[in-house]
Amino acid sequence: MGPGYVQYCDTPTTVARICVFEYRQKMPDFVHAQEFDNVPCPFCGLLCDDLRVAMTKGTATVVANGCAKSRAMFTANAGDAAIAMVDGNAVDLAVAVGRAAQILRAARAPLMISAGTDVAGMRVLLELAEQCGGSVDHANGDALFRNLPVLQNTGWISTTLTEVRNRADLLVVAGTGISGRFPRFFERCFGDFETLFDVGTRELWFLGDVPGDLPAVLRARTKSLALDPARLAEFFAALRALFAGRVLKEKNVAGVPIGNLFELLDRMRAARYGVLAWAAADLAFPHADFAIQSMCELVTALNAENRFCVLPLGGSDADLTAQQVTTWQTGFPVRVEFSSGAPAHGLVRRDEIDAMLFVSALDAARTPPPRNVPSVILGRAGMSANGCSVFIPVGVPGLNHAGHLYRSDNVVAIHLRKLAASALPSAAQALQRILDAVREPH
Amino acid sequence: MIRLKGGRLYDPAQRIDGEVRDLFAHEGRIVAAPAPGMTIEREYDLSGRVVMAGAIDLHTHIGGGKVNIARAMLPEDHRYSAFSRTDLTRSGSGVAAPSTFATGYRYAEMGYTACFEPAMLPANARHAHMEMGDTPIVDKGGYAMLGNDDFLLRLMASGADQKLVNDYVAWTLHATQCIAIKVVNPGGISAFKFNARNLDVDEPSPHYRVTPRAILATLTRAVHELSIPHALHVHASNLGVPGNAATTLATIEAAAGLPIHLTHVQFHSYGTEGERKFSSAAASIAEAIDRHANVSADVGQIMFGQTVTASGDTMAQFRNARHAHPDKWMCMDIECDAGCGIVPFRYRDSNFVNALQWAIGLELFLRVKDPWRVFLTTDHPNGAPFTSYPHLIRLLMDKSFRDENLARIHPDAAAHSQLASLNREYSLYEIAIMTRAAPARSLGLADRGHLGIGGAADITVYRDDPDREKMFRVPEYVFKDGELVAQDGRIVNVVRGATHVVRPDFDRGIEKRLRDYFDRHHTVRFDNFPISADELVECGSRETLVHACARAAQ
Repeated sequence: MGPGYVQYCDTPTTVARICVFEYRQKMPDFVHAQEFDNVPCPFCGLLCDDLRVAMTKGTATVVANGCAKSRAMFTANAGDAAIAMVDGNAVDLAVAVGRAAQILRAARAPLMISAGTDVAGMRVLLELAEQCGGSVDHANGDALFRNLPVLQNTGWISTTLTEVRNRADLLVVAGTGISGRFPRFFERCFGDFETLFDVGTRELWFLGDVPGDLPAVLRARTKSLALDPARLAEFFAALRALFAGRVLKEKNVAGVPIGNLFELLDRMRAARYGVLAWAAADLAFPHADFAIQSMCELVTALNAENRFCVLPLGGSDADLTAQQVTTWQTGFPVRVEFSSGAPAHGLVRRDEIDAMLFVSALDAARTPPPRNVPSVILGRAGMSANGCSVFIPVGVPGLNHAGHLYRSDNVVAIHLRKLAASALPSAAQALQRILDAVREPH
Repeated sequence: MIRLKGGRLYDPAQRIDGEVRDLFAHEGRIVAAPAPGMTIEREYDLSGRVVMAGAIDLHTHIGGGKVNIARAMLPEDHRYSAFSRTDLTRSGSGVAAPSTFATGYRYAEMGYTACFEPAMLPANARHAHMEMGDTPIVDKGGYAMLGNDDFLLRLMASGADQKLVNDYVAWTLHATQCIAIKVVNPGGISAFKFNARNLDVDEPSPHYRVTPRAILATLTRAVHELSIPHALHVHASNLGVPGNAATTLATIEAAAGLPIHLTHVQFHSYGTEGERKFSSAAASIAEAIDRHANVSADVGQIMFGQTVTASGDTMAQFRNARHAHPDKWMCMDIECDAGCGIVPFRYRDSNFVNALQWAIGLELFLRVKDPWRVFLTTDHPNGAPFTSYPHLIRLLMDKSFRDENLARIHPDAAAHSQLASLNREYSLYEIAIMTRAAPARSLGLADRGHLGIGGAADITVYRDDPDREKMFRVPEYVFKDGELVAQDGRIVNVVRGATHVVRPDFDRGIEKRLRDYFDRHHTVRFDNFPISADELVECGSRETLVHACARAAQ
């Protein structure tokens, strides 16, 4: 490769370094690659923003700081056709928009689901639901509704990723899916780096198996207690009782020897800054909110002596983004319906739903829930349009257009970048066209 | 061009106290009387009406992470207040923690045209701007919170030069698109993360060994040396603690004569006298404000009823969580930057402490002599929702109404307070000072808060009703940038507000240090941290209005 030159694109705040490599004479096609540094990745809740991504002829390749998920998702569907469809036939975008508007206008109780769209997309999705008297949900609504009742009934003491990275000397993980869902969580929070504060020897306690996919370099000791996640409520209720000084007659709680409970509780009490983390998506068992409530109550109680926080991890598929925007626009977190015109907390009954709109701009593999009603799908190129009335391909936020998403800790919003031009509309633009068409006099 | 004909103007910035004059507005600005022959598109006959500039709320928690947590936590605040969309307006809900659309509409209907979110964590600034982008009609601005962030405390602990601090403060204002700097419980939010539960003004903070006094001195100096118009906005230490008046006086001292704004000073004016060890120190605080020309304050009046407290002060919120009503609350440590805590609260007139808090707030309003240095706030929603302002104005303007209300509170609180002996009644001119002219001057908004030629045509027209609550609740007309937006308490036109910011000069050399710090220790890269003016438009702002960094003459 010949000597490249570095060009600085200086927007007021971000200096995106774009390396434009010289043409290589021996290549049959000119190689014209652009590399971007510190690129935010929208494909899981962590929103890691240190990726290096190369763009070659519209195809993105993660060349540094990626994980398996980001590498696959940035590159996915690059060559896939992106054609609007109505009843399985290719049509112009305008025709698809018109048909979508017709379906929504005719519906009395349309259900609008985000399975991944940015703040701008959620803003229009909500306005469309309000216009049509619809309901708004997120595809991960069940998981969101494991945490929300706890926030609405008792609250919690929580923390965010930079605090965990620099301050936590103990992390207790309830459930086993964190590293699968958030591949770089342990690397970024407990990896090989200098912390701002003295964290001593860090410990990770897994309630369940130690994940097999922990990063090679981990500056923490790991321990585990074999435990069925469905018994977390029982387990934490016992820990709370022990913390309150009660005597338990049982020798085992949720299959864990009582001695191990004492050991864990002692460690939690000794923590300078302890964190109890879970991903609600992992806790897919009935009444998981009771388990979460029990965990939050123990953590709150621990703060009588030392500092301890919860870290409810979410954010994937832009679920926390949906929750945040819905909350500020309507006053209620997701699962909001507008059947009376005014926003109300909850969804209408499943059998009343007579049309569906489903948006998945991040992941072409997401599929809408089965409903025997006319459906409008806005999806990433490559998504199957089988069985839907209308399919509109949309750009990927963070790849084809800028946008905002909320991170796992539900506090930090990240500004996603546009890396490559796309002929496709953003979900927000497509939704706006549908909204305008719904409002057109007819 | 429009003509507002024959109204009685209260415009303290021009020392106009109830003079009947015509006003003309064209393309969003107040203009001189037109030459003969120029077309006047619309004329409003305002004879007998009271005309003021649009009101400015310089301390109201209208947007950002903590406000949204408060909304999510409190479906009961929204369930019975939800309203539908119209052809003009969006749907929404909420009283104590209203949705963004509700916030914009209710403020505009009351004649407010600008609102300032006083607690914008740099780590959460993007979120706050997105919410404010969905808050229609009114202009917005934010105060960036510093003084608990690891970077500043680390700089101070290392004995860094003031110049470096100034560069960091200026960079923060640029990066967060804010107009002022706020400090909340200096060092205390950070100390809480190290398991401290109190931090007095002269107590070295855990880890950094920096005192709140030093933080106050460093930040007041930075704000002064950068010529940021608004003084350092201070939520002092020991909020709500009996006896904290001494802390507040020490906070004034810490500023060493440099400008300082004490926010929600009602919550910081408590003594320890009486058998309940809780008393009013309003007299000594008001006297100190009068004596120190460098000090301004907003009151943070409480009103009886249900609300929610949303604060960056995790240390105080954790301490007060036992009073939560309904019984739920949350606290959060945030990004080695700051924190937040949400505690729902119901102030009751039959409760001695709450009743005395109410009286202390009113005492402060009535005792501070200079209305240019005391601003009308309830610290929305912490003392009460902003929709209670008209009631508060009547309490200030109408002694007999005040006495009626005083007769209803806990009798011991009434007896402990000297409120009954304070006969002052605010005039319309003084109300115009504390809700328009003074906040605009304090924030450096040269073209707002007055009705002078060249000013923005943000104008509110009231019917002169002796019931001042009724008068201020439903203005007859509200104009935003020359457009009629509300009439008789109804929104008639929805416009988008701008974002007010300052951008002091600084040495960009600090960015190298910040880049290294962020990229090594934080979970957001330095490149992705700042918000550009373009991004602000993406967040929903109409435009950025940059105000000069030069101190206004007092």
